[in-house]
Amino acid sequence: MSESTLPPAAAHVGDDVQRVDDAAKLTGGAMYASDLVFAGMLYAQVKKSPHARAKILAINTSKAKNLPGVHAVLTGKELDYRIGLYVVDKDVLAKDVVRHFGEAVAAVAAESLDIACRAVDLIDVEYEVLPPVLNQLDALDENSPLVHPDLGSYDYVKASFSPQPGTNIPNLTKIRKGDIDAGFAEAKWIVEREYTNPSVQHVPLETHVAIVEWKAGDEVTIWSSAQSPFTLRDLFCRAFKLPHNKVRVVIPHVGGAFGGKAGIHLEPLLACLSRKAGGRPVKFQATREEEFSLLPCRSALTYKIKTGVGADGRITAQKLLMYWDSGAYADYAVNVTRASAYSAGGPYDIPNAWVDAYTIYTNKPWGTAYRGFGHVEFFWGLERHMELVAEVIGMDPLEFRKKNLLKPGSTTLTGERINEHTGNPLKCLEAAASAINYGRLTPEEQERQARTGRRIGKGIATLHKAPAMPSFTSTAAVIKMNSDGSVVVNIALTEIGQGTATVVTQMAADRLRFPVSRVKVAVERDTDKDPFDWQTVASKGLLLTGNAVIAACDDLLRQAYLDAAQVLRAQTVDLDHDGEKIFVKQRPEESVTFAALSIGYVYPNGNGIGGPLIGLGRYTAQGLTSLDKETGQGLPALDWTYGAHGVIAEVDPETGEYTVIKIASAFDVGKVINPGTMRGQCIGGMIQGLGTAECESYIYDDQGHLLNPSLTDNKILTAKDLPEEIECIAVETPQLDGPFGARGVGEHPMISVAPALANAIHDATGAELTHMPVRSEDVWRAIHNRLPVDTWVTKAPAV
Amino acid sequence: MNDGFKYRAPTSRAELFGLLAAHGEGAKILAGGTDLLVDIRSGLVRPELVINLKKVEDFPELVWSQSQGLIIGPATTVNDVLHDPKVRDCYPLLAECALSIASHQLRNRATVIGNIVHASPGADMAPGLLCLGARVQIASQRGRRELFLKDFFTGVKRTVLGHDEIVESITVPAGTARSRGSYRKLKRIDGHDLSLVGVALTNTDGDVRVGIGSAAPTPLLIEGLTDQDPADAVVAAARAAIRPISDLRCSKEYREYMIEVFVRRLLEEVR
Amino acid sequence: MWMSVEVNGHIYEREVTEHWTLLRFLREDLELTGTKDGCSAGECGACTVMLNGQAVNACMVLAAEADGATVETIEAEAVDGELSEIQAAFARNYAVQCGYCTAGMVMSVRELLEHNPKPTVAEIKEGIEGNLCRCTGYQQIIEAVLDVSGQIDSKSRGGLKYV
Repeated sequence: MSESTLPPAAAHVGDDVQRVDDAAKLTGGAMYASDLVFAGMLYAQVKKSPHARAKILAINTSKAKNLPGVHAVLTGKELDYRIGLYVVDKDVLAKDVVRHFGEAVAAVAAESLDIACRAVDLIDVEYEVLPPVLNQLDALDENSPLVHPDLGSYDYVKASFSPQPGTNIPNLTKIRKGDIDAGFAEAKWIVEREYTNPSVQHVPLETHVAIVEWKAGDEVTIWSSAQSPFTLRDLFCRAFKLPHNKVRVVIPHVGGAFGGKAGIHLEPLLACLSRKAGGRPVKFQATREEEFSLLPCRSALTYKIKTGVGADGRITAQKLLMYWDSGAYADYAVNVTRASAYSAGGPYDIPNAWVDAYTIYTNKPWGTAYRGFGHVEFFWGLERHMELVAEVIGMDPLEFRKKNLLKPGSTTLTGERINEHTGNPLKCLEAAASAINYGRLTPEEQERQARTGRRIGKGIATLHKAPAMPSFTSTAAVIKMNSDGSVVVNIALTEIGQGTATVVTQMAADRLRFPVSRVKVAVERDTDKDPFDWQTVASKGLLLTGNAVIAACDDLLRQAYLDAAQVLRAQTVDLDHDGEKIFVKQRPEESVTFAALSIGYVYPNGNGIGGPLIGLGRYTAQGLTSLDKETGQGLPALDWTYGAHGVIAEVDPETGEYTVIKIASAFDVGKVINPGTMRGQCIGGMIQGLGTAECESYIYDDQGHLLNPSLTDNKILTAKDLPEEIECIAVETPQLDGPFGARGVGEHPMISVAPALANAIHDATGAELTHMPVRSEDVWRAIHNRLPVDTWVTKAPAV
Repeated sequence: MNDGFKYRAPTSRAELFGLLAAHGEGAKILAGGTDLLVDIRSGLVRPELVINLKKVEDFPELVWSQSQGLIIGPATTVNDVLHDPKVRDCYPLLAECALSIASHQLRNRATVIGNIVHASPGADMAPGLLCLGARVQIASQRGRRELFLKDFFTGVKRTVLGHDEIVESITVPAGTARSRGSYRKLKRIDGHDLSLVGVALTNTDGDVRVGIGSAAPTPLLIEGLTDQDPADAVVAAARAAIRPISDLRCSKEYREYMIEVFVRRLLEEVR
Repeated sequence: MWMSVEVNGHIYEREVTEHWTLLRFLREDLELTGTKDGCSAGECGACTVMLNGQAVNACMVLAAEADGATVETIEAEAVDGELSEIQAAFARNYAVQCGYCTAGMVMSVRELLEHNPKPTVAEIKEGIEGNLCRCTGYQQIIEAVLDVSGQIDSKSRGGLKYV
């Protein structure tokens, strides 16, 4: 294809296109890993630790082994494999010690689920219970027990992480920008406060499930609800020292993931059970209760923020100390720590900054990726703190934010220079503020306040996030033409509900100038058949896979043009195409259809030329670097998506009960590919963000037992919990290297919802909220125990 | 995990009572199942026999009469009560309590009597039924007995019921029909949730009664108040009766505070 | 226990495991996997089916209780490959994301509309309160119900605003 034949204005991109997976999902026909059953399949169950920290003295499995129908019983002692995404610190089954409540200590595979359940009941484990370390700040104490005494011997990814042997710290990320002391010396005010949030659960409606078959000759097949087939395969092969071509990972439909299904989880254990059971496939699906502690959660965070502000309201310096509670294993928490560190100041221009971000082991279920990848947690503190600083210096919170926002020419914490194509945080903030009539109550709101006796308040918060991924992250797409001229796209980016299959269909259709009905994105992901993709995480899929798909379309067209040029006795520059055929520009009646070229063109006499049209496209993140370990300087961001929320809340000042009247959120997505799916991502994230803001939390007793591993006591929001009004706003500042100018928005709607809500509650009542979730009881306490803002001011101009 | 219980669905009272008498503690009654199946799954109860009573043909159903008031049968679901025109007309408080329970599809199965017999401190039907002077009719092979609902509960998930007995009906006297009153429930979210505290308050011709859930080992009834009593006196009576605890759902202090707020607001509404 | 149950218009006669729920019976015995298991505890609604014309959580019903009953599941909602009006409205309004809650959600909407053909937003929220969805934030599901009940048209540009 020549330059002159670039596609015309998009026909489907930006337009209403229904989701391509609707029919399967609406009729019950879509098959999820939890629906799959294979001949000879066995069912696994897991024996779990009732203690947070204990020595395993003995495990008696003889009764379980003798139960008819049981085909394999495993304990940690028999398994010498360790897994770990960035720090290789986790055994397939606990060995010698258990490090958290709910940890797997033994497992069985049996002919039915009922037999498997009976078998694990028959396993006796003798423990010596040890005092657990449960709070991450306690775990920093030099007298604290070590969750991993062998940390110094563990393998880890050296380019990105810095474990501290002899401590509970699997990673410390440092960022140093400018001169922090000079910045604070220059400040007229210094404001310091600490913000906290607990661990929470992703709560995908489909719990983690996998089926693994490990046949003789080391032929392994894994069917899983995982997000990232290739990373799963890579981690699996590293743990078992198997070549990649021996292991096949298949991902059917996935019932929600939100980061919790990234990486590797149940698959190694099921593989060992299968091997022991003679290669029969072994299936395990976590119960809802197991989802909370056999599987990972989102890390808790304590965030200490110290901000210096000049007389003009500009931030002069910021010291940011993050203490991430990794739980028992490092998993993604070390990278959450790293990604949060380089984003820690938010979309603001901070000339002098100091970030120390610690990942800390404790005896609790471990933290992993969760939509927002740390940003939901630290923006809670950051955007509450911006509100506090504005109050201290007597400036309107919106003005204070606007004054400090990043703009073209600003540099980020890692020294990246922002330009006019990076995105427009100001436009997002103004749109969100305007949508809630920020700063005043409308006559209707005043009337409502008078009528109900409830106080109405308004709050705003900003956000930003870049994909947290290796600097060299790459992906590929293959597009294959069928003999009728339709195409099938193969990618390994999984469809987990976010709409990937639909937007890829639109982008491919537009690039090919085909109707969407002629484009299909293959349903399952299969590492034996699909081209590589790193992971389906980080809001990077649209940009990376989109670019690869465009390249694949171009490659397919290039081949079609070459064949057509031969058929039409023309040069490729003479040709153009529409949805059906390639034709000579000057004489369009001279043409050949894509269908005729698709699997090789056949001349009237039977001669064939060309061959199946298959396009290959690949794309690698451009220009990114590792970060300097001492200063954090470098270029980590594929793209920045900016956003802002406005919340109107109504609070009962007597009881602390509150409702959200409106949430309005704006995101600079560069280019909207599909308004309906984008709005779906936004609302879904905003409501998930409200859930984390209002009620979601792991609750432990003082021995580290998880008290609420259920939907009965870990509530997530229902339809009745929606705000009365929800508004989603798109800002389109094109990303020059994004497909059609687009950038990702998968995680962003969830970030900063909590502080926007708390800022609105604060506006209504004066309640100073520093812990999320914000339950009505917390609002009640904060209203009745109001502290003066001076409490947090450590430097102020002389009066 | 639920392994290995047997299931029976008797069609007559006699057959049901025979099964109960024969199996004693090992038998559990299945009505709506929405508490029993949860308890079996979590291992809280491990019955050898589960007896579905919904096929029994000679049980009372939901009926209202001027002479007997409202009769609620063993298979009467929460939604039956919620959608019954007579209930909505005469005992809107009961409809309000019913609507506060779980979700629509749960209420299609959950029974009113099951909610009471399960005897959770936070049973949402209890505060309303207590205020309205409900009575409980208990039956077994040994015969029948009747008592006030307020005398039915003996502790957390404990009642006066013997292992061979069932609650055959709950009756609400006609005398409390059209009492003024309402139910307030503190929850963690606006959607379906258990009560952190639940307060019902009625005014029946000047006679004020307060029913409180999730504030003591059993649902509570506070009687002997009138609509002439000052709010402080009603609050004081409630405060004297409750014994809330702190747990993962709510603190003791907030429970105490919210009960007081709810009592004051409800009293204001019915004066 | 030997039992007979009509599911989606077909009579099934089966020996049923007495401690199994209707959910396990549908998914594992009848292999009707459209109905999903999200919690097995009556909290999430993913397993909502129609039992004798009423929406119930299939995890909160013993299979044996369905002896002699009529059950309808998501597999009966589309007829001859054509989406029902409810399903089509879900598709038009982007009311599906991961799809795991969808079957139960459609069942609850069907129950709601059978009793209340033009529900208000509050009534829709009440009707689907027992169906948890972690992806959509419910709003587009509510709009689908308003659409299928003739109260709004599906929104152009997905209802998204641009500035």
